[in-house]
Amino acid sequence: MAVLRELVVFPSKCLRGVRSYFLSAPLFQNGFLKLNESVSKDGHALDLEQSDTKKISKAMKSYMERAKIHDNFIKQQLHEYNIGKRHLANMMGKDPEFFTQADVDEAIRYLFPSGLFDPRARPMMKHPDEIYPKRKAAEFDVNGRPYHSLFYTSKPNYYTLMHDLAVKFKQLDRHEDKIISRGIQDQKPTELFLFGSEWIPKQKVENVLLETLTDAQYENLIKTFERFSQHPYSALEKDFIMQFRRQLAAQVEIQQVPELMRDESGRPYMTYNTRRKTSNAAVKVIGQGTGVISINGNDIHFFQREQDKKQIIFPLQFSDMLGKVDVVATVDGCGTSAQSGAIRLGISMCLRSFVNAETIERMRLAGLLSFDPRTRERKKPGQAGAREKFTWKKR
Amino acid sequence: MIRTIANRLKWNTVRCFTQTCSINSDAFLCQNATSLKDDQLADIKESEIKEISDPLRFPDYFGVRKLFRVKDLFDARVHYGHKDGTLDPNMKPYIFGSRLGHLIFDLDKTAKMLQDALNFTAHIAYRGGIILFVSHFPQHTLTVENAAKQAGEYAHAREWDFHIFTNSEKVYNGVTRLPDLVILLSTLNPQMQEHTAVKDAAKMCIPTIGIVDSNSNPNLITYPVPGNDDSPAAVQLYCNLFRDAILLGKSKKPVVST
Repeated sequence: MAVLRELVVFPSKCLRGVRSYFLSAPLFQNGFLKLNESVSKDGHALDLEQSDTKKISKAMKSYMERAKIHDNFIKQQLHEYNIGKRHLANMMGKDPEFFTQADVDEAIRYLFPSGLFDPRARPMMKHPDEIYPKRKAAEFDVNGRPYHSLFYTSKPNYYTLMHDLAVKFKQLDRHEDKIISRGIQDQKPTELFLFGSEWIPKQKVENVLLETLTDAQYENLIKTFERFSQHPYSALEKDFIMQFRRQLAAQVEIQQVPELMRDESGRPYMTYNTRRKTSNAAVKVIGQGTGVISINGNDIHFFQREQDKKQIIFPLQFSDMLGKVDVVATVDGCGTSAQSGAIRLGISMCLRSFVNAETIERMRLAGLLSFDPRTRERKKPGQAGAREKFTWKKR
Repeated sequence: MIRTIANRLKWNTVRCFTQTCSINSDAFLCQNATSLKDDQLADIKESEIKEISDPLRFPDYFGVRKLFRVKDLFDARVHYGHKDGTLDPNMKPYIFGSRLGHLIFDLDKTAKMLQDALNFTAHIAYRGGIILFVSHFPQHTLTVENAAKQAGEYAHAREWDFHIFTNSEKVYNGVTRLPDLVILLSTLNPQMQEHTAVKDAAKMCIPTIGIVDSNSNPNLITYPVPGNDDSPAAVQLYCNLFRDAILLGKSKKPVVST
């Protein structure tokens, strides 16, 4: 049991290990190190190494020593993990040969119940590969010459990204110059629409680059990206920029837009039932229209106030669908501003199916797609109104 | 744009391949090439030629002198120094004079020192040395990094982390081979202080080539090249020259090894 306890404890220690190293590099795959490992078994490997001893640089030698120590350590850990797994299997009365990681987790949960809150603080036993990060493979060849031209900056991947950004910036500038020199003025550059997403956080950038960055370096990267995305022709590099942005949660919900339906004559339409205060509205927006608006059988003059009319027109105008769709709405209850507000939300929600994602996002930011939850506040006893008090008079 | 021109020599056994840069005009090139050929081979016997085991015997084995002319330096505005008052006393011998309050470099002296530096670079590249381009000016970062990439060498044109040379084992997480030659495109950092690499390279016995402007100190630089280190045109010229010198040095390699 003591053995098992040790086995169970070791991975939680391992968690504190250093991380951020490259996955296997070409040298690993070429079997240079494998040769070195199998020296004791294989005769050929030995004389290859001996013949090259003079050529191998100090740097490579020290790397090989480090790699060997690490490999032996991992081998040892793997051995201990396998023994621990067998012990657990025997205790749980199962076949050790078919004892999976899921069974290991289950067994530990059963045998070592823990009241600790943080899952990472609870006992666990995992494969060494999951606990120890992959080590960076040698970044230089046998002569000690680095593979990467920016190796001496000590953060080659980060600075390569910065370099690529600068190169792309120059390309866009050249493109802009070309367009200007050709005298193409009416062709407006397509704007890069970045609303609804944000730059990925430092931790994620580090995972992508496999290098630890300082706060200043991350800030510098983001600033450079900001400037890059403000370039008039940055839309050409949209894919590149989007690799370093992530969607915001709010946008994901709005994106679930229902499909358009077709009526008997084949025209696309969309319906939406909504309310505002105590008024209820059922709105139907029909595509391929001429801009006819019908509210309870009347036209837009159903509302007498100008503001109510504006409320109806605004979503159509904002999404540039004025005159392209017909609107049929029935509304009842409450006052005119509540009725027009309900119809406005209904029209906006229906229009989502007619416009593209970027317009939807713009509509969301304009507040067209959010329900207005405000209602009349009740009167309180002992007061004149919801908030208003009776006139106070000193006895 | 590098063109290869084969100069066939008198002896059948030896063929000298020389790469030349397109900076020069063709007429100048041919004239220069012939004169150099006579210079180089005047005092070398046939038996010695058969095995060129020691390129150091030649004054210009790689033909780096043909890479540029003084006119090219002038066109790239290499002769402009800083203002009179900022002159470093150690730079006095390389100054031609002062014009409208600005110092002007003596380009004849610059050309000679630049040739020496290029020759040294080519020799290092020929022997498989690691060459590191260093600059700290954001304006020139892209130029320097591109030059290093094209030459198949290394660049550090970003913020200089202290102890890169002096504590390399910690910086690179293990024993690392340090560069065999550091080329500084400017020996000052943007704060107008001496670049850390100058002192550190001297500490680690790494030879340095440095473009020293009139306000910088050439004392710790192995091969100082007096010249303007601020103009993009000048930096572009230096980068092209060093890149071409490295490529020349590397291109000779297979000829010798066989």
